[in-house]
Amino acid sequence: MNRTSLFRENVGRLTVVALLASSVFTIQAWAQGGDTITIGVVLPITGKEGKPGQYQKEGIDLAIKQINDAGGVFVKDKGKKLPVKTVFYDDGSDSAKSASLTERAMSSDNVTAVLGGYSTALGEAESVMPDRYHTPWITTGAGATAIFGKGYQFTFGTLSPVALIGTTSAQFLGSLVDQGKLKKGLKVAMVVENTDHGIDYVNGFTEWSKKHPGYFEVVMSEKFELNATDFSGILQKVKGSGADVFLSDAHLPDYITMHRQYLQNGLRHQMVSYGARGPEVDARKALGDGVNYLFAGIWWSRNLPYPQAKKFTDDYKAFTGHEVDSWYAAPAFDGMRILAKAIETAGTLDKTKIRDALRKAELKDSILPGQILKFGANGQSEYPFVITQNKPQGKVDIVFPKDAATGEPVAPAPGK
Amino acid sequence: MTLVRCLNLLTSALLLAGIYAAVAVGMTVIYGVMKIVNLAHAGFLMLGMYFAYELFERFHIDPILGAMLALPVFFLFGMGVHWLLVRWLPKSDTPTLASLLLMFGFWLVLQNVGYLIWGNDDRSITTPRTLSSVSVGPISVPEVNLIVFAAALVCLVVLQIVFHRSWFGRSMRALIQNPYAAQIVGVDDERTSRLTFGLGTAFAGFAGALLAMVYTFSPDFGRPFLLRSFVIIVLGGLESVSGVALGAVVLALVETFGPYVPIPWYWHGWFFYHFSESLQPAVSFGLLVVVLLIMPQGLAGLFAKKRRLA
Repeated sequence: MNRTSLFRENVGRLTVVALLASSVFTIQAWAQGGDTITIGVVLPITGKEGKPGQYQKEGIDLAIKQINDAGGVFVKDKGKKLPVKTVFYDDGSDSAKSASLTERAMSSDNVTAVLGGYSTALGEAESVMPDRYHTPWITTGAGATAIFGKGYQFTFGTLSPVALIGTTSAQFLGSLVDQGKLKKGLKVAMVVENTDHGIDYVNGFTEWSKKHPGYFEVVMSEKFELNATDFSGILQKVKGSGADVFLSDAHLPDYITMHRQYLQNGLRHQMVSYGARGPEVDARKALGDGVNYLFAGIWWSRNLPYPQAKKFTDDYKAFTGHEVDSWYAAPAFDGMRILAKAIETAGTLDKTKIRDALRKAELKDSILPGQILKFGANGQSEYPFVITQNKPQGKVDIVFPKDAATGEPVAPAPGK
Repeated sequence: MTLVRCLNLLTSALLLAGIYAAVAVGMTVIYGVMKIVNLAHAGFLMLGMYFAYELFERFHIDPILGAMLALPVFFLFGMGVHWLLVRWLPKSDTPTLASLLLMFGFWLVLQNVGYLIWGNDDRSITTPRTLSSVSVGPISVPEVNLIVFAAALVCLVVLQIVFHRSWFGRSMRALIQNPYAAQIVGVDDERTSRLTFGLGTAFAGFAGALLAMVYTFSPDFGRPFLLRSFVIIVLGGLESVSGVALGAVVLALVETFGPYVPIPWYWHGWFFYHFSESLQPAVSFGLLVVVLLIMPQGLAGLFAKKRRLA
C-alpha cells in the first residue's frame, strides 16, 4: 500500500470518527436541551395498568402545557425560560420493559429527569436506574415503602406511603367507634393482594390497632394472588370468620371481581373497603348500586375543598375532554410541577443539583390533601389521605378527615 | 370445617371447573388434531368478550344470545385465520417452535388491535343476572356462574357427540391417533385441520362471550386462563375432550380446597402447614409438574391404561 492511499484511508477514517463524535455531541446537546428541558416519562398506557397510566400521563401533560403556556421554566444558567418537552415511553404494564425504557431515557436520551412508574410493581423495577445514571426519578404511582427504604439518592415519590391508607382507614373506623356509630371491639377480616402494596396496607392498619387497643380484633388476615380468577374460597373464609368489618387492598380488576363475588355470595359487613379502590366509575358501571357505602383511602379526590383542586378539575376536563374521575392524575400533575420548581431553584440542568433542590422543594399550592407537597428524607412524600364513601346515585363524599369532609359517613352500611 | 362451608366450597369448585372447562375445550381440540399450542387462544377469548359487549351495548342483545351468535362468527374467523396463517406452518406430529411463535405473535397482534379499537378501559357487562344468586338451603350459587357451567357442560357433550357420531369427528380422531395412517385411508388432513381450527376458535369465542358476564375485561384479558388451560390439558390427557372436564374439575378442586388441607411439615418438630390463597398458582403449576413427571398421558391416559389392564 503506497503513502497516498494510506493517507487517504486514514483521512477517511478520521472523517468518519469526527462525524460520529460530532453527531453524538449534537444529539447529547439536543437531548440535554440547549433550548429545552427534556423530561422522560415512562408509564403504562397499554396492558393491565393502562388506564391509570393514561390518567397519570394526562396529569403530566397538563402540567407541562401550563408551564409552557407561562413561558417555561426559568433556568438561571441559561439566563432565560426554557420550555419543557417530554420523551414518552409506554411500558405496556411490563416491569422488565419499564426498567429498560427508564434506562433508555436516562442513558440514550439523556433526559434531565424521569417521571413515571405506575404501579408499585413497575415502579420497583424502575427504581434501580436513577442512582445508576445519577438522574432524578419521581415516581407518580408507586407508593410502597419498599422502594424508599433502600437508600437510593435520586429517587422521589409523590404518593404518600401505602401503609398510611391502612393507618387512615383504622383512624376513620376508630372515629366512627368514638362517635358511637360502630361498637368497640370490631372484628376485622383482612384480605389483601400478595404485593408490597397489600403488605404495607396491613402493616399500617395493624400499627394503629396496636397503639389503640380495644378498637379492633383482626380475626382473619389472608393474601390473594394478583389478577386472580376466583375468590370464592377466600370469601368463604371471610364468611366463616364472623367479622364485622371487611377490609381488602386490591387493584381495580381484582376489586371488581372480588366484590361481585362478595355480593353474589350474599356477604354483608358493617363496613367494607378495598383500600385505595372504591369510587372508580368502571366499578360502578360493573356493579351498579353494589358499590354503595364502600369506603376508600385515596391520595386525592376531586371533591377536596381547595380552590387549586377545583381549578385542576376544570383545567383537566378542558385539556382532556373528560372528567377527572379518579385520583391517578393528581399526583402526576404535582410531580411535574414540583420538578419544575426544583429545576428553577437549582438554576441549572445539572442533575445532581436538581436532585439536591428536589430534597428541599416545597410545593405550597399543591392540589393534594394538606396542600403542601414535599419529600421526606427517604424521598417519599407524606401527606394525609382522604377517606371517601360511595353514596347512592353515584355520589362520592369525602367523609374523613372532618376538615375536608363533604358529607357525613354512613355507618354501619345499610343492610347490616 | 363445617358441612355447610364444605358444600359451599364444593359448589364454588364445580362452578369454577365449568369456567375452566369452557375456556380449555377449544384449545384442546386444536392441540389434539393439529399439535398446535394455540397461545392466541387468550386473544380469541378476549375478542369473544368484546363481541358480546358490543352486541349488548349497541343492540341490547343478551350475552347468552351473544355467546350463541359468537359460535358461527368465530368459526368463520378461525377458518380465516387458518387459511391466512396456520396452513403455512410445517406439518408435524409434535408441537413446533414455529407454531408456538406464530400463535404468540398473533396473540400480541390481537391484543394491540383490541387496544386500538376499545382502548384500555376495564369493561364489563351488567345485567340483572350479574349480582343475583340461586339459594339452595344455605348454599348460594351465582346465576351467571351457573349459566357458564351449564354452557361448558353442553359444549363438552356436543363435542363428544361430534367426535363419535360424525364423519368430521371420526376424521379428527383418526388424525389424533395417527395422522399418517389417517391420510393413507383417505382423511383430508387439510380440510379437517381447517374445520378443527374453526371449531376451536368458535369455542374460544363462545367461552369469551360467556366470561364477559363474570369478569371485568380489557384487551389484556386471558393470561391466567391460558396458563390454567395448559394445566387442564396436561391433567386431562393432551388429546382427550372428556379429559378436559376431568382436568378442570381436579384443578378447581385443588385450587379451592388446597388452602384448607393441612400439610404435615417438619421444622424443629412436626406441625401442620396451610397453603395461603396467594399460593394458588404455585399449587396449580406444582400439580402440572407432578402430572408431567408421574403420568405424562394425563388422568385420562391413566384410566385408559387401567381399562386395558383389566
